[in-house]
Amino acid sequence: MSDRAENTLLVLPGLLLLALAFFVPITQMLVLSVSGENGPTLDHFTRFLGDPYYLNVLWRTVRLSLIITVICAAVGFPLAYIMARVGPRLRLWLIVLVILPLMTSVVVRTFGWMVLLSRSGLVPQVLRDLGLAERNFSIMQTELAIVIGMVQVLLPFMTLSILGVVTRIDRRLEEAARTMGCTFMQTLRTVVFPLAVPGIVAGSLLVFTLSASSFVTPNLLGGSRIQVLAASIYRSVTQTLDWPFAAAQAVILFAGILLILVPYARLAGGRSNG
Amino acid sequence: MVKAISTPLRIAVVIFVVLTAIFLLAPLVVVVGVSLSESQFIAFPPSSLSLRWYEQVLSSDSYVSAAWISLRVAILVTLTATLVGGAAAIAIHRRKLPFSGSLATFFLSPLVLPTIIYAIGMLMLWSAVFGPVSIVTLWLSHTVITIPYVVRTTLAVLSESNPFLEEAAQTMGANRLQRLWLVVVPQCRPGLVAGAFFAFNISFDEAVLALFLRKPGLTTLPVQIYGQLEFSPDPSVAAVSTIMIGLTIALILIIDRLLGVQKFASS
Repeated sequence: MSDRAENTLLVLPGLLLLALAFFVPITQMLVLSVSGENGPTLDHFTRFLGDPYYLNVLWRTVRLSLIITVICAAVGFPLAYIMARVGPRLRLWLIVLVILPLMTSVVVRTFGWMVLLSRSGLVPQVLRDLGLAERNFSIMQTELAIVIGMVQVLLPFMTLSILGVVTRIDRRLEEAARTMGCTFMQTLRTVVFPLAVPGIVAGSLLVFTLSASSFVTPNLLGGSRIQVLAASIYRSVTQTLDWPFAAAQAVILFAGILLILVPYARLAGGRSNG
Repeated sequence: MVKAISTPLRIAVVIFVVLTAIFLLAPLVVVVGVSLSESQFIAFPPSSLSLRWYEQVLSSDSYVSAAWISLRVAILVTLTATLVGGAAAIAIHRRKLPFSGSLATFFLSPLVLPTIIYAIGMLMLWSAVFGPVSIVTLWLSHTVITIPYVVRTTLAVLSESNPFLEEAAQTMGANRLQRLWLVVVPQCRPGLVAGAFFAFNISFDEAVLALFLRKPGLTTLPVQIYGQLEFSPDPSVAAVSTIMIGLTIALILIIDRLLGVQKFASS
């Protein structure tokens, strides 16, 4: 047996599995998205893009995903920087703090938010006690609930992406900046942040994609009236059983993600290894 | 470095970390709290404590059978993803196949595509070719989405390993199988172990594929919880969720013992 044969044998099961159980299903979905009763058609796409209801769903998806990504980056960058610069013991605890929610099922975490945000839940109650909210105040079934829940779900992804880059920044660069008269905040802004940009970009790409394509948290926290695109896809598959339309929406979702991500990645200097 | 930070800034950092910790952990703490409640209704903080919801869960057919399905799928997925992904990573690392570079991209591609898009494709293909979905559908699709993790962790470990060990073994007369099994696989072990844990965790907690590929009698634990949350959540959902959180904590502890959590986090 040659080296070539050995390596081929090792890689072949995975190659076949991914080809048959990953690429063929996606092709099938693409085909279905343009198939009608009388041959190929773009009806499903025009139906989506011509309906104000669905355009509104699309806009909400993009808007919420952008907000969630920005918040995750704004919290994730300082958190990752602190994680990289504290002592080893504290760092371990902070890593556990980030990994524990990350490894817990999204369904479980969303349930926690349902309890916290419901009318009788802790958060509205505290806000009422502080006089910041009225008696009937509720956060559930609002876009705010979706944003809160999604940021908690996705913050670990952002933090770990940035942490991977920040740990590799040479500490002496910061010390040099300080010696030459920079304040701490100036060092952070002019030295650390620019070097951390690849991590922030990688994290943002990940968070935006995950946020635009998730429906479990938005469905449970936003309710059926506040639909996002992924929730609408899920409904088309399970409730209205309109599979070609679901496929078309999935294509629109992916095209939309690419449309936003590609220029962003280009702008920020190419995709980094995150 | 740290010494040069002013006191107000240091206080701000502490407040920031504490608030973030509360934000990240609050939903988990609340779920555990609700599960211990005596009350019929979901309430936090619980007014009086009891374990009655755990009893209810353990004697509930739907939860026990869902847990059993989740566990079976997760174990199958862990085995196949580790085996298939690990083997592929070894071959990719040797860079002796044509298109080695694109092979790595190929194996990592399920990470890039949103799971919901893959889930629709899988449901449509399976229905068109084989008819109703089965546990095999779930097994295959979870294996597909977890293979990239195994490939990535194994490649990361291999890239730091000594490439000459295999050559040395060859010079000393080890045959192909011996070299693979006695030299290369032990070198990969930390990557394989980390990948296996990722695979188990992802499969056991995964809700998107499981929601699309469900049918009566094929309900995983996350799907069962999701269904309860959509209609009539009672504290028993919290008890199941707490058990899942407990399992996650156990996994993290084992990983820390075997590999160290820090290393795991960076892969």
